[in-house]
Amino acid sequence: MSQKLILSVVTPEKLLVSEEVDQVNVPGSEGDMAILYDHTPILTNLRSGQLSYEKEGETITLVVSGGYLEVTDNRVTVLAETGEFLHEIDRERAERAHANAEKQLNQTDLSEEEFIKAQKKLFRAVARLENLNNN
Amino acid sequence: MPNLKDIKRRIQSVKNTQQITKAMKLVAASKLRKAQLAILEARPYAIKMMDVLNHLAARCNHDLHPLLDVREGDRTLLLIITSDKGLCGGFNGSIIRKTAQYLKDNAQNENSLIVAGKKGNDIFRNRPVEIRQDIIGWTKGFDYLKAKETGENLATLFAEKKVDRVFMIYNEFKSVMQQEVVVEQLLPVIPEKVEKKDDTFVVDYIYEPDEETILDQLLKRYMTVEVYRAFLESSASEHGARMTAMDNATRNAGEMIGDLTLTYNQARQAYITKELIEIVNGAEALKG
Repeated sequence: MSQKLILSVVTPEKLLVSEEVDQVNVPGSEGDMAILYDHTPILTNLRSGQLSYEKEGETITLVVSGGYLEVTDNRVTVLAETGEFLHEIDRERAERAHANAEKQLNQTDLSEEEFIKAQKKLFRAVARLENLNNN
Repeated sequence: MPNLKDIKRRIQSVKNTQQITKAMKLVAASKLRKAQLAILEARPYAIKMMDVLNHLAARCNHDLHPLLDVREGDRTLLLIITSDKGLCGGFNGSIIRKTAQYLKDNAQNENSLIVAGKKGNDIFRNRPVEIRQDIIGWTKGFDYLKAKETGENLATLFAEKKVDRVFMIYNEFKSVMQQEVVVEQLLPVIPEKVEKKDDTFVVDYIYEPDEETILDQLLKRYMTVEVYRAFLESSASEHGARMTAMDNATRNAGEMIGDLTLTYNQARQAYITKELIEIVNGAEALKG
């Protein structure tokens, strides 16, 4: 098992992960992907969702929203806008954010920009809650 | 012979100053802790971002994006970051010196400035150079959004070909005691040369959704992140510089108090001696 990927997950606030891992699963903008050793170079957008990595048989999950993924020479770099470990998510806050986003989207007088913003918020909230409910 | 009362007043006044510098030092120290944490945590993101962009720029076609466009022109825009408040040692002085030096060395170019911080504005307002924008009061509540605004502003100026190059001059936070003035080219983005090994060739990325979209977003993000980082570096440096300056001031005040107290005691001693001699002389005179 010497064939490891070097994964780093960073957000503007923090360096979240910097580890050697066996596999990374990411929510790409065009669909979910699994990245293994010797993956071809790729650069893609990420959507809000669940990012997990496997390390020595253990799976660790994070919730990320937006950002980029780059893979080169077995280095996986995730530049996320926000990110938190699953076990750190505050359920109440997530539910509140979800309700807020829904309320905003129900308004009819939103400009396009506001609409997209609210939509993003909703996706983020959904991603958080979805993961909580699965576990 | 110095007047005893005067010396006493001096000592009191120096003591008051010392109290103020001491308080300022403590305030700076606590602000520094926060600023230091912020910059240390923001750095990895900025570095990774730079890496990704470098990889990307080395591969892709430079005509693809206006922000990669290397032009011949000589219109240069400098973003310089100073503080709003003084009393922080050489912090602003070194930035201003460096900027003035740069303007002198590149006088043939068409230079303009965006000056952040009151101190820099006070100086450059009276110099023969165009100030495109001033960002005063940034030290209070600076955040990512503000950086985004500034970053996008710079990008627009560049993309609309109003300027040909953009530099940043700011204090980089080395340690609490040390700041270093850096001049950094922000635009056009210069990719580092990727070393080509003989037997391998650079493989292009798979792009999702497509190259242009990603490049566009990434470059915009990069501008924001770089500006944000520069401001955070500056903020941490400022508090560090102020703390060091105030620490020195407090120590100097202490020394001064020591010296003055010695002078005071000497003067008092001399006064007492003089008085004693007078009394003894008087007694002698009466005896005789």
